[in-house]
Amino acid sequence: MVRLIKSEIFKLLKKLKSWLGPLLIMILVLIAFPLSIDISQFDLDKFYFSIIVVSILMTSFVATEGMFEEDFEDGSLEQEFLLEKDFYKLALAKIFVFVFLIGIPLALIGAIFSFANGVAFNSFAKVFLILSLSNLLLFNVFAFGNALSINKGAMLGVLSSLPLALPVIILLGSSIRTIQYGDGFISIIALMIGIGLLMSALMPLIISAALKTHID
Amino acid sequence: MISAFIHKFSSPKSYVRLTEKLYPFFIVLGVSLLTLGWIWGLLFAPQDAVQGNSYRIIFLHVPSVIFAELIYFFMAICALMHLVWRVKLAAYLIKAAAPIGAMITFLGLFSGSIWGIPTWGTWWQWDARITSTLILFIMYLGVITLHGSFSNLIKADRLMSILVIIGVINIPIIKKSVDWWSTLHQPASISISGGSSIDPSMLYPLLISIIGLGFTLISLGILSSRSYIFTREKNKKWIAEHV
Amino acid sequence: MKLLSAQNITHSINDAKLFYNLSFDINSAEALHIRGGNGSGKSTLLRIILGITTPSKGLVELIKPDLKISYLGHKNAVKSYLTPLENLELLFHDAELKHAFKWLDQFGLTNVQDELTANLSFGQQKKLALIRVMAQSSELIVLDEPFVGLDQATADQLKNFLAEKLSEGVGLILTSHIDPMIECIELDLGV
Repeated sequence: MVRLIKSEIFKLLKKLKSWLGPLLIMILVLIAFPLSIDISQFDLDKFYFSIIVVSILMTSFVATEGMFEEDFEDGSLEQEFLLEKDFYKLALAKIFVFVFLIGIPLALIGAIFSFANGVAFNSFAKVFLILSLSNLLLFNVFAFGNALSINKGAMLGVLSSLPLALPVIILLGSSIRTIQYGDGFISIIALMIGIGLLMSALMPLIISAALKTHID
Repeated sequence: MISAFIHKFSSPKSYVRLTEKLYPFFIVLGVSLLTLGWIWGLLFAPQDAVQGNSYRIIFLHVPSVIFAELIYFFMAICALMHLVWRVKLAAYLIKAAAPIGAMITFLGLFSGSIWGIPTWGTWWQWDARITSTLILFIMYLGVITLHGSFSNLIKADRLMSILVIIGVINIPIIKKSVDWWSTLHQPASISISGGSSIDPSMLYPLLISIIGLGFTLISLGILSSRSYIFTREKNKKWIAEHV
Repeated sequence: MKLLSAQNITHSINDAKLFYNLSFDINSAEALHIRGGNGSGKSTLLRIILGITTPSKGLVELIKPDLKISYLGHKNAVKSYLTPLENLELLFHDAELKHAFKWLDQFGLTNVQDELTANLSFGQQKKLALIRVMAQSSELIVLDEPFVGLDQATADQLKNFLAEKLSEGVGLILTSHIDPMIECIELDLGV
């Protein structure tokens, strides 16, 4: 497992565009949005969170695109199969590394921008926590979509994973509201942690089944 | 023992033989009940006290939405049978049912939109229930697209079954969503635990329409699945004998 | 010592039957050469032996579940965005890494070790892929067309390596259009 995590970190950092790209897209969208509207007409801090949520959704999808495709195309999946006989550890390692290297920075960027747009400073940590947890969920969902569609293109990935991602977005929206209205934060965080742990344990199992089917 | 039982009744050959006998009965029953339900509901059921005549779309909308979910549940059971017991027929049935499910979900969304105009003044409302049904429609499209993307059909069957099983978690979310959010969508007017909020003179044609649509959809499913079985099993001897 | 046993392997892809009721054993210090025309199922049979592909019927039994197998298929399993050096560092540690560097040198790849793998020639990439097999300690070596893309010198090095491994008791399975020049049991899948 440590071997896999180390090699995934090494590979992701070497592919700068895969790692830095989503972060830059996120920053671009969050800067572009206020520039594209008449801010005297709109109360920006009321719906800026929605922009952050949608940006997180988009950039998570972009970040995880081709997650398993490269290993499938160059034969690394087969080599991994010979070592471990399934892909549970590989899927777990990949998702963990992607969340850690891309998901957490995305959450940090989102939290910083929300702070810059009227969220109180003491809510910064709450926003960061919520965005990190939702990235954990989203990356699991998109990793699944990627494992199903592997090299068949983004459209199939979207169709496969978006229906699972949207309930996560609904949950994220509800959790943001608990910060805005100061009520129910702990219970929603507990829910997200619970779902996050469950998904993190189960999704690699399902991804492994899908990948095994692909190399069969 | 379960495995032996399942394999005895799940050969494509016995399915084709069985459905050949059942199909005429189902289609006649389905179309008659549906016609009866619709004529009763559209022409003879009384006007609604609040909505007037515009409520009558309920006889298309409610059955459509019910079967949109039921067909997905059916697909999920088939997916489980395919993945656990390697039943080929189950995968064929998913492949046949998915387009029917997609069509009926679209019909549900479309009829709901039409109903929305006189009732709420809007043809679309981003409430949880309608949005979840839209997500269900996308899931059907995902299943259809996924299977169609792979030339190796054995692989396609298995991946499709995995997607269906994962997607079935969306169904309880549809159910829960009415509780989670305040919404314009009216609460379910038929409840299994007894006590409906609609009058019997409207309830009976509705129930007849639901049963009629059910049998009609089963008939469509039989036609679609038989045709697909002939395509997939075309090299088997029993196909040549049958056709 | 028996390494694996294939029993009544039958396999079809989309209703096209590739082979029927194949049975054979692989023992240590033995080489199996699988021959056949294009599309006869040589690569598929290898993948069935390795457990990557499930056969339509039949069974492959390994003598022990953690049998150390080295495999090189049609795909090289090297990362094109890494250098040869980085690729090897990803795969190996300690003693095996030193061994891998030795082979890097023997294959004449030292002067391109810091180039991106994507910029190497087909033959150079193949050599890099072969190092995985050369440097790894294994009990069974499975190779799918290993000589394709190799120059004569490297092909000879590979043949000598395989002969040496056989004498050490390692089992070998390979597909090849050319004569591997080592003592093999022949399995012909036909046209």
